[in-house]
Amino acid sequence: MRRLPIIAAGFLVFTAPVLATETPDAGPIISRAVDDFIRPAYRDFHAATSRLNEVTSKLCTMPSENLLAQARSTFSETVDSWSRVEIIRFGPVTEQNRLERILFWPDRKSTGLRQVQAAIQKEDPTATNPDTLSGKSVAMQGLGALEFVLFGTDSESLASDAPYRCSFGAAIAENLDSIAGKIENAWEKPDGFAKSWQNPSETNPLYRNNGEVLGELLDVFVTGLEMERDVRIGGFLGEATEKDKPKQALFWRSGQTIPSLAGNLSGMKALFDISGLAEALPADKKWIAKSIGFEFNNALNALASADGPIEDVLADSAKRGRLTYTGVVTSSLSELFGTRLSAEFGLTAGFSSLDGD
Amino acid sequence: MRSPLIDRRDFLKGAGAAFFAGLSPAASAATLTTDAVFATAYQKRDGSFGAAILSEEGKLLHQVPLPDRGHDVTFDPVSRQSVVFARQPGTFAVVFDHSGQREPLTIASPPDRHFFGHGVFSPDGALLYATENDFDNAVGMIGIYDAHDHFRRIGEFPTHGVGPHELLLLGDGRTLAIANGGIETHPDFGRAKLNLSTMKPSLVFIDRLSGDLIERHELPPALHKLSIRHMDVDASGTVWFGCQHEGPATEKPLLVGRAVRGKNLHLLDMPETILGGFRNYIGSVAANRDAGTIAVSSPQGNSYAVIEAASGRVVARHDLTEVCGLAPDHASFRATTGTGEIVAAQGSAVQAQEFVWDNHLLRITA
Repeated sequence: MRRLPIIAAGFLVFTAPVLATETPDAGPIISRAVDDFIRPAYRDFHAATSRLNEVTSKLCTMPSENLLAQARSTFSETVDSWSRVEIIRFGPVTEQNRLERILFWPDRKSTGLRQVQAAIQKEDPTATNPDTLSGKSVAMQGLGALEFVLFGTDSESLASDAPYRCSFGAAIAENLDSIAGKIENAWEKPDGFAKSWQNPSETNPLYRNNGEVLGELLDVFVTGLEMERDVRIGGFLGEATEKDKPKQALFWRSGQTIPSLAGNLSGMKALFDISGLAEALPADKKWIAKSIGFEFNNALNALASADGPIEDVLADSAKRGRLTYTGVVTSSLSELFGTRLSAEFGLTAGFSSLDGD
Repeated sequence: MRSPLIDRRDFLKGAGAAFFAGLSPAASAATLTTDAVFATAYQKRDGSFGAAILSEEGKLLHQVPLPDRGHDVTFDPVSRQSVVFARQPGTFAVVFDHSGQREPLTIASPPDRHFFGHGVFSPDGALLYATENDFDNAVGMIGIYDAHDHFRRIGEFPTHGVGPHELLLLGDGRTLAIANGGIETHPDFGRAKLNLSTMKPSLVFIDRLSGDLIERHELPPALHKLSIRHMDVDASGTVWFGCQHEGPATEKPLLVGRAVRGKNLHLLDMPETILGGFRNYIGSVAANRDAGTIAVSSPQGNSYAVIEAASGRVVARHDLTEVCGLAPDHASFRATTGTGEIVAAQGSAVQAQEFVWDNHLLRITA
């Protein structure tokens, strides 16, 4: 069995009072997180899917090399904006399987690939209509499926004459745009999810108290870091080079593996900075925030100098080493968020509460 | 400094009184009077892992170091040995004798399997059954180990579901009840859940001798994200199960149910105040067969509830930070927490300085 040679730290932040610490008022922290990170990030993602929808439908009307290149680069922009906001794994994105419909990954048995190839081969008419597509398998209606359409085997045909493939791609883009719009609206609504998150009470079915509200925010980091390390990096980076599985990396076809890893981390860093969690720390504990900032920068710098298609990155020992290092840094960040920061905020990093047991 | 521990004791005393008031006179008279010890996996504050045997007073009687995080412990009263299983996707189980007379023995899962953290002995102690993952095929399996031959793996049979978690041996000594949580995982991707949109949990009854499926029960399709994970059996043979909801937090499905052979699964209606406090997550289920009660804990909701088995009525609710481990104790339950507390049925609490307790607690009759 393959494992990364790093500590598999996993904590879920818990909302329980601990001795001698006080949970800061979550109100202003959550307001900043919602107004200055989450809402704009979903707006950006929706804007990207709208451009993607537009350019893919143009490509289908007038196939050309130029429009195919535009569609591909818009896909990459969409992945970038998605990766930043993907870290928000609670709230409206959890409704109606939206998270999986936007990105079904890991797809270990290549279900999506087989379904997408079958649809193209049989010219399945229900896959080119966004309304019927949205009711089909989650694996064939999101970014993974669209990546194969735009970058997979025979995708060059989109520049000349591949009407079915193109309209399938356009339907996926339209479906993504519709999901992105719904999530954006759900967060923007004044009486929607954000209000519930910002107003804990005994009668609020989602958040009963200040601790649960803040715990949800800290969970973004704790879960996001574990995902980055154990799932995203751990999914393809072996203990030794010969155990690497580059084709198990997310977005290997479009060369977006490293940007999506960096997007998740820069999203977390932005959320940490914007929400002002650092200011809520007492003076003698500011070092925790400094360490967090330092480690985020270390990881982001390492990824910035590990650019390129993932197969090339893994073949280059210096670049490959930077990926291993990024994994180590995420372990350190997990400790900082899951133990240090949460303890300072009077929240325990639930040892006996880890999800799924 | 204010001491929350004292507050909690006072609270528990109060809660205990309410508990007795809510039970029928016959049930409150029955208590577990024999001496007992308790087994649980732990993490030390220095980060290391192990399994411990604790006295009724909460004293550490025996400990076994583990290479990684453990999960549940099962005990064979014939050989008086225990087995602690690695937490998923761990690949070891450790057999130990808390009297210290035998060296611990490590069982490794085969290369294409891992443990899910739970197992059970046959009544004669000859065989050990463990829930396992055939991860390349995403199929749940029961591994069979020969306790008389150094726990050599001698066979396996399928659980007819994905992601099996807890299993129980029923009173006939032959039927296994297995909770197929329905969640696909693969060690390549840590603990990531690979099939949430299509997951399909089930509770199955399997003949442990033939491996034959006796019955397979599912919840209605609308509840396909309700992962059935933990169970215990009451004095009447009814299997009580607790679930974890993988759907949106805005959905509040019922989380505790009953399974009886020949009948559909039945989810227990609970007061909204109790159910809402569970945060869609039940971490363990324990029966006190003498008292006729069932307890279900929610570490995410920092609470546990006690249900009268006969009526299905919630008779007590206790607030306890990160409570998960539960075991029958006198007239009610003993609880352990992820903050290191051990709270006995009578309400006395011990705070371990060096340990935090893992999800499950097992009562072993001395």
